[in-house]
Amino acid sequence: MCGALLVRNPKGGLDRPIALYSTALILLLLANIFPFLTLEIGGRQEITTLFGASQAMYNAGMGELAVVVFLTSILAPALMMTSSLYVLLAVRFRKSLPGVRVLLSWIGHLEPWVMLDVFMLGVLVAFVKLGNMATMYTGNSLYAFMGLIVVFAAASSSFDTHLLWHKLGIPGRKT
Amino acid sequence: MRARDVGLASCHTCGLLLHLPASGHTHCPRCGTPMHMRKPNSLNNTWALLIAAIIAYLPANLYPVMTVISFGKSQSDTIMSGVIYLFAHGDWPLGLIVFIASVLVPLLKMLALLYLLITVQKKSHRRRLQRTRLYRVVELVGRWSMVDIFVVALLAALVNVGAVATIEPGAGAIAFSAVVILTMFAAMNFDPRLIWDYQGEDNG
Repeated sequence: MCGALLVRNPKGGLDRPIALYSTALILLLLANIFPFLTLEIGGRQEITTLFGASQAMYNAGMGELAVVVFLTSILAPALMMTSSLYVLLAVRFRKSLPGVRVLLSWIGHLEPWVMLDVFMLGVLVAFVKLGNMATMYTGNSLYAFMGLIVVFAAASSSFDTHLLWHKLGIPGRKT
Repeated sequence: MRARDVGLASCHTCGLLLHLPASGHTHCPRCGTPMHMRKPNSLNNTWALLIAAIIAYLPANLYPVMTVISFGKSQSDTIMSGVIYLFAHGDWPLGLIVFIASVLVPLLKMLALLYLLITVQKKSHRRRLQRTRLYRVVELVGRWSMVDIFVVALLAALVNVGAVATIEPGAGAIAFSAVVILTMFAAMNFDPRLIWDYQGEDNG
């Protein structure tokens, strides 16, 4: 009646989100080890990593914001990917692993706090703002990060919580 | 006809449709989360979070979100002056996006929640469909306001070249992220099903 999307059936079953989330996890790792952006000003270079953004907030005495930035750009995506993979693999190989239900119910609550795409917009704005005062170079991590946004979006849209809950069924009742 | 009228509700977390006991509260047998006919204290919680967000909105816009210290001179930027800078120096499409994300969205989001709360409390039965859609948009776009916080964090991380140039985050950034987070929680606490209650009185 209100026009909201209720159910859809993504193609590819469980294998597609498993593949996509594994890729996303590797990309997140890559995005964290290489330099993210390099700034050159007055002959001096300043290299920052993805983690550097939250570190800078912490160094400036803003622990709260450091937590917010770390949570939305690294921790929440990492938790969402690992817990999704855990649940997917458990259901795919019909293993009853501990905590599957708890994790699956938390994935939905985690999703709004994954702000990879918003972070990317922030990178663009930072680029423009520093454009006339310094030279900026993109690092390998930035490319990994861009890939991560695309793969993550594909992964979460092929991740079907309804299907997973249906396969898990109700404890003590045959489905 | 609502699901409530026949004693049915679906789980917020896993979507299982259940017959709820007369009390209206139980635990979902499939995922274990507490289930309610309507989110408990939905209106009170949403009001509290929304009012907190409105209070935080003032320092968020009045205090600087960052200070640029360059060759001994310091210049502070608020949310609004940052947007104006983008329009003046950068390109206007990006300025427009940031203006929408960091000025328009938080303001409209708080007004929208205010409107939803008041109409539900007045047991209004007008424009239900539009109000439900409004709620969905509010839930969807809220996170984009966080972009300013990321910009400040990135700038502070990049521009840290001692005497030449340093960018420090300001108090406004904390208040601004508080607005974003509080409104996100406010939207999560609001139960859109309340919009569709009270319909037996008019059109049956």
